[in-house]
Amino acid sequence: MTLLGLAARNVLRNKVRATLTVLGVAISVLTFVLLRTVVGAWTAAADFAVKDRVVTRHKVTFVMTLPRRYVDDVRNAPHIRAATWANWFGGKDPKHESEFFATLAGDSKTFFTVYDDMKVDKETLERFQQDPQGAIVGDVLAKKMGWKAGDKVLLASSIYAKEGDWEFRIAGTYTATQKSVDRSTFVFHWTYLNDGVSIPGLKDQVGWIVSRVDDPSQAATIGVTLDKLFDDKEVQTLSQDERSFNSSFLASVSAILTAFDIISVVILAIMALLLGNTIAMGVRERTTEYGVLKAIGFRNGHIVLFIVGESTFVGLLGGLVGVLASYPIVERGLGRFLEENMGAFFPFFRINPLAALFAFVLALMLGATAAAIPALTASRLRPIEALRRVA
Amino acid sequence: MMIPLRYNLRSLAVRKTTTFATAFGIALVVFVLASALMLSAGVRKTMRTSGHPDVAIVMRKGSDNELSSTVESASINVIAAAPGAKASTPDLPSSSPELVIVAAIEKLGASGVTNVQLRGVPEHGMRFRPEMRIIAGRAPAPGQDEVMIGARLRGRFRGLDLGQSFEIRKNRQARVVGVFEAGGTSHDSEVWMDLDLLRTSFSRQGYVSSVRVRLSSPAAFDAFRAAIEGEKRFGFMALREAEFYEKQSEGTSIFISAIGSIVSVFFAIGAMIGAMITMYGAVANRQREIGTLRAIGFSRRAILLSFLLESTSLALIGGAVGVAGAMAMGFVKISMMNFQSWSEMVFTFDPTPQVILTAFTFAASMGLLGGFLPAIRAARTSPVEAMRGG
Amino acid sequence: MTAAETKAETKAESKAEAAEVLISVRGVVKTYERGGETLRVLDGLDLDVKKGAFEALMGPSGSGKSTLLNLIAGLDRPTAGTITVGGKRIDELGESALAKWRGDTIGFVFQSFNLLPVLTALENVTLPLLLTRVAAKEREARATTALRIVGLEDRLHHYPRQLSGGQEQRVAIARAIVNDPALIVADEPTGDLDRKSAEDVLSLLERLNKQLGKTIVMVTHDPAAAERASIVRRLDKGQLQ
Repeated sequence: MTLLGLAARNVLRNKVRATLTVLGVAISVLTFVLLRTVVGAWTAAADFAVKDRVVTRHKVTFVMTLPRRYVDDVRNAPHIRAATWANWFGGKDPKHESEFFATLAGDSKTFFTVYDDMKVDKETLERFQQDPQGAIVGDVLAKKMGWKAGDKVLLASSIYAKEGDWEFRIAGTYTATQKSVDRSTFVFHWTYLNDGVSIPGLKDQVGWIVSRVDDPSQAATIGVTLDKLFDDKEVQTLSQDERSFNSSFLASVSAILTAFDIISVVILAIMALLLGNTIAMGVRERTTEYGVLKAIGFRNGHIVLFIVGESTFVGLLGGLVGVLASYPIVERGLGRFLEENMGAFFPFFRINPLAALFAFVLALMLGATAAAIPALTASRLRPIEALRRVA
Repeated sequence: MMIPLRYNLRSLAVRKTTTFATAFGIALVVFVLASALMLSAGVRKTMRTSGHPDVAIVMRKGSDNELSSTVESASINVIAAAPGAKASTPDLPSSSPELVIVAAIEKLGASGVTNVQLRGVPEHGMRFRPEMRIIAGRAPAPGQDEVMIGARLRGRFRGLDLGQSFEIRKNRQARVVGVFEAGGTSHDSEVWMDLDLLRTSFSRQGYVSSVRVRLSSPAAFDAFRAAIEGEKRFGFMALREAEFYEKQSEGTSIFISAIGSIVSVFFAIGAMIGAMITMYGAVANRQREIGTLRAIGFSRRAILLSFLLESTSLALIGGAVGVAGAMAMGFVKISMMNFQSWSEMVFTFDPTPQVILTAFTFAASMGLLGGFLPAIRAARTSPVEAMRGG
Repeated sequence: MTAAETKAETKAESKAEAAEVLISVRGVVKTYERGGETLRVLDGLDLDVKKGAFEALMGPSGSGKSTLLNLIAGLDRPTAGTITVGGKRIDELGESALAKWRGDTIGFVFQSFNLLPVLTALENVTLPLLLTRVAAKEREARATTALRIVGLEDRLHHYPRQLSGGQEQRVAIARAIVNDPALIVADEPTGDLDRKSAEDVLSLLERLNKQLGKTIVMVTHDPAAAERASIVRRLDKGQLQ
């Protein structure tokens, strides 16, 4: 038997209380992991950005377009291996208004070459390129909407108005080579969009240009060179490596990210209060025992170690249960649901093992610190006072 | 016969540390829930106050928001003259064609850019909204590269404050010459400028995003809509302004309440467990007292009720602290993305009576549920306990 | 006590009187503040306890007998005066040094036994040895021996709640002797026990004194218990009578 063994036994003394506390800590850890996973899912796009891709957009705004001929200027610039473009179509299935998925009008020849993390097999790509109204959709979206190759699909656009709906034929699906890629995007021919646009101002316009560069370490400099090309033209551009481009969107969810950070701290506070309360109650009930231990020669440090050990043990159990429970709940249950049904927002809803480890370590550390006040109080009691406090 | 509540309140006061730890845990949960609900109510309030009952908004059919809508200039006069529209007076113009674009502007205190809504209005755009007034500086002069900003934008974005400027296109700095207030509406989070300035800056000559029309009366809307939407050639739709803004707030408001509620439920389980631990402890420490109460004739039901009241009081103390904390959020304005308009808007926390009632109900339920099992144990205490030592 | 024994004792005493004194209390004053009032519990008390003695302290409630015991055992400190145990001035020791000293020197027996309920008899007895450098195997061997001495070798793995009051107190005595202390202090060791168990415990203390030569100081208000001691001292109003 050791001192820590004795601490562990004291934990199990009041089984109801110990179980409840472990459960409370476990739920806090689970919630913490869940929140960090949500934050991680949002920042995943930036974390998993492809290093050799540069995105060129309108200098002042995301919503305005660039002239189509800019693409050729980009292609002819040095260090550019390939370039493609796409427009945000704002498409919706009129029969399923509430289903949100991204719809892009892209260049059929180059789109999947530049976005090679969206994997399309050769036959599908050929079928797509030969059909002017063809579309390739993410496998997750196809499954959710029940679309199969050859199906006719009607979409309405919130931007490109038209008499009636836009009509497409599904050529096939793409899969992802990386977990962070949205598998719910709908891609179709830009030429189909351009030919169908009725508003003159929207004709021969592209939403953004994406290029692959030969030297990823020079991506930022290459971006600056690209922008110089258009400095004197009618529309100026801003070119960024994909990581900067993706993370520039994070400012718009910064309020939510901040809120989640605050809530994460609140969880930790609740966990500390729970642990502190349990330990304080146990210490108060066992004051006499600490008196005995001190009488027979245990020093203040021993008593502190003893109580902190007890609390750390509860933190350990709670952390372990919480982390173990979070994997099936977050990844199997909620994660799968979100990836399948809200893939456009959460393409990659997985626990970051570091976050799980962090939660576990926090539970341990909070266990240790929550015991600090009761432990100090108990250790400072003089043995005769402690002995006198017979319940 | 009931055990006086004073007995429970004093018991709570005696166990200071435990009472504090438990109540504070509940306070944190209630704070999170109440804050989320207040913010959600704040979003709805901002949008609700933005809509006038007697104003209709005409946009391209199928558009989610003004941003994605395009209306050709040629149609403006036809729309303004549709049946149901009010006749214009110099003081109160009857229609306002406006262009809306979002600019990616650096958000201070966060890394990266976010969309700020730019609104180009005709010369009488401000008179169209009688609630608007300038609180600092002056209105932008026509023909100059000048803008004014909503009061809520001040100090949150690079270049968006009185006397500062931001690049609207190459070598054209738009200078902020005025700050306006629009009664807590969504306009308070917008940058306003002359319609032509915005059009030329973004090569949008010949288009606007929407046309607002003042109706002769709110009841005239149906006739107006029939006229606008009946003309299939246009492909426009007409909405009551109130209805439009309602839709603009829906996504964000629901999102905030949903996240807040989900998080609070998880938290509440934790806090409830805290209350349960505390109440079990209280019951265990007071076996002799409870035995004595039973011995002198209080019924099991009275003991059960007494302990339920104790845990509910404990939770309500926490609830009060939590609500008070959330009320303090009333001084905070929060800038966030409004999903529907795809632009950054500044919202306040709106402490509606309903939110406060919900928060207290939530706290009381935590106390009741957490105290239930311990109260049953207390009620089962035998009067013999009174005779036992220590 | 036989005449021969008394004679031998007297002889030894005269041979090396100073060396034989284990506890020396000189001019000890102990006051407490209670409700703004100063209580003078011990008032200039002198006391010598010889090595190998079995002394009983008696006196009415509030006479200061427990306070005196606490002072001798190093649980409390005097307001004035000196306490020397085994040649060491314990009134001068710091908090932590005092704790270590207690662990090395004193064995405690309490009225309400004060065993840790989560530990078995054997583990309770092992407890003081955790403070020493004794190896785990050796700790268990010593604790088993101590329990054999108190006659509980068949109760090693019982928990306190599975033992009778008398057995619990014997486990507590085993705990008190396991690290071979110079002095055993007992505060009303029979106070919570029935007659028969009390007799057993007193016989055990007597045996520890006679056979193992342990010095014992015991506070009691039970005349039957005091009878077993070799010297009985009476306290009243903070002074030895």
